[in-house]
Amino acid sequence: MNLSAFIAIAISTIFINNFILSRFLGLCPFIGVSKRTGPAISMGLAVTFVTTTASILTWLIYDLVLIPFHLEYLRTISFILVIAFFVQFAEIVIQKNMPAIYKAFGIYLTLITTNCAVLGVAVLNTDMFFMKGKAVAGSFLLSVFQGFGAGVGFTLAMVLMSGIRERLEFAEIPACLKDAPITFIVASLMSLAFLGFSGFKI
Amino acid sequence: MRGSLSELIKGLWRENPTFRMMLGLCPTLAVSTSVANGLGMGLAATFVLAGSSAMVSTVRGVIPEKVRIPCFIVIIATFVTITELLMKAYTPLLSRALGIYVPLIVVNCIVLGRAEAFASKKGVISSTIDAIGMGLGFTWALCFISAIREILGNGTILGLQISDRFEPPLFMILAPGALLTIGLLIGLINYLASKQKA
Amino acid sequence: MNQLVKFGLILGVICLIATLVLAVTYEITKPKIDEQMRLEVQSALKRIMPDADSFDAKTLDDIEYFEARKGAELVGYCVKVTGFGYGGYIRMIVGMDRSGIIKGVRVLEHQETPGLGSKINETRPGEAEPYFLKQFKGKQARTVSVKKDIDAITGATISSRAVTDAISKTATEFFNKVKR
Repeated sequence: MNLSAFIAIAISTIFINNFILSRFLGLCPFIGVSKRTGPAISMGLAVTFVTTTASILTWLIYDLVLIPFHLEYLRTISFILVIAFFVQFAEIVIQKNMPAIYKAFGIYLTLITTNCAVLGVAVLNTDMFFMKGKAVAGSFLLSVFQGFGAGVGFTLAMVLMSGIRERLEFAEIPACLKDAPITFIVASLMSLAFLGFSGFKI
Repeated sequence: MRGSLSELIKGLWRENPTFRMMLGLCPTLAVSTSVANGLGMGLAATFVLAGSSAMVSTVRGVIPEKVRIPCFIVIIATFVTITELLMKAYTPLLSRALGIYVPLIVVNCIVLGRAEAFASKKGVISSTIDAIGMGLGFTWALCFISAIREILGNGTILGLQISDRFEPPLFMILAPGALLTIGLLIGLINYLASKQKA
Repeated sequence: MNQLVKFGLILGVICLIATLVLAVTYEITKPKIDEQMRLEVQSALKRIMPDADSFDAKTLDDIEYFEARKGAELVGYCVKVTGFGYGGYIRMIVGMDRSGIIKGVRVLEHQETPGLGSKINETRPGEAEPYFLKQFKGKQARTVSVKKDIDAITGATISSRAVTDAISKTATEFFNKVKR
């Protein structure tokens, strides 16, 4: 349990195992909301907020409820419910108290419940930071950090893609490749570039 | 009878969840590194789809409009967990290979999409048929993409080597290959569809 | 308010039914899942220690291991090793004789990238064992290291190193603690 573990997780979740470009989690919003940079950043922030808090909540549930009562098999169902309720709750709170923030990214919150990046990071945390039914050293902080890193990686991919797509609008591409197909092809090239990070020694 | 047949086959092509509606792409790309994985994932998702659609349709009269989405999610998550446990018990290797993408069937938009758009409005039998059709459509799309990637990226099909004459480009079995394959395939299908119309 | 209670109740009932269904499924599948895991470990043990005929499961602090015996004679140890690779844990089982010379390594579970890191556990056509793991045979477990004893897999240096380092670290720790 030291600093290098955190650096390794940051580099891993943001670059090497980027949630979109390598693990394919959260592709729907990636294709759907990456047309303009503004919304892409908002979506990225919303996702980062939710992945981080979801990591906290699901870790607590897993460690304090599911493991002591040997209910590990309820992982999927309890995580998705907690995420769904949290997202609803956050939306209501933000809408009432912080209208400016709500305007910036609140509308994307509803879309996030079924974003696989959120459940994905929660499940991944329990896979990576629990061993033989026990939390590994620093498990909680590592989980939260991984949740945050996943969000940052997501935002990075979104922002890069939206920049490219804004330019792409002026390009003459075959009609059948417009929108989704060309986005996938561009994402493929980005993913190829990101593959270069996998030589990183941590 | 003809009505239910058309409900079954619409998922295979006309409303294919992967190619036409572009739903559930995350698992499609992630597990399509080999045909065996693709097939396993497809069948697991089909089971979840059929089970949860039948269940949603059965209880549709009891569930109030406002809480329907959380209820659907609970039902889907239950079927996903059953699948997870069954796979661990009977196909441990496949369950390892698919890893976190099995629990992630919960957030596969196809499942919730079918529950919301079809099963919550129609009868049990037609909902189940619709779900199986969609599931099979998803399964063949997954197998098709996996076959392309496995042949090109690993030089094998279902684990059997095709030819040792060429060095398979690793690229196809890694993440970029998945994105490229799906992009070009959807492009091709769009092209064919536009030809059909003209 | 009344409506809210009603909604809560309905959702609660559904959750309760779901939990019951899952609890039943879990109880039914659990023996089967445990059996699968036991079989997996048993077949790995037989592969890495073909001469031994019985394996006793033991634990030493946090290390799980098996004493491999032929008749009454202790012929070696099979130690469970966990490395941290690219995609998560790599769980292995390492068979060693009493002096720490490796007899065989099997990977039980890994999440390395298919096509790259997954090669640690891939077998070439016509061969019986993964070619990467075969290299470990006959090496001293406590000092085994990439480059010196083991050729890393091209494009998967980190996975190769994770396997090797985990083995040497656990073996050193194990032999320091085990009674001779």
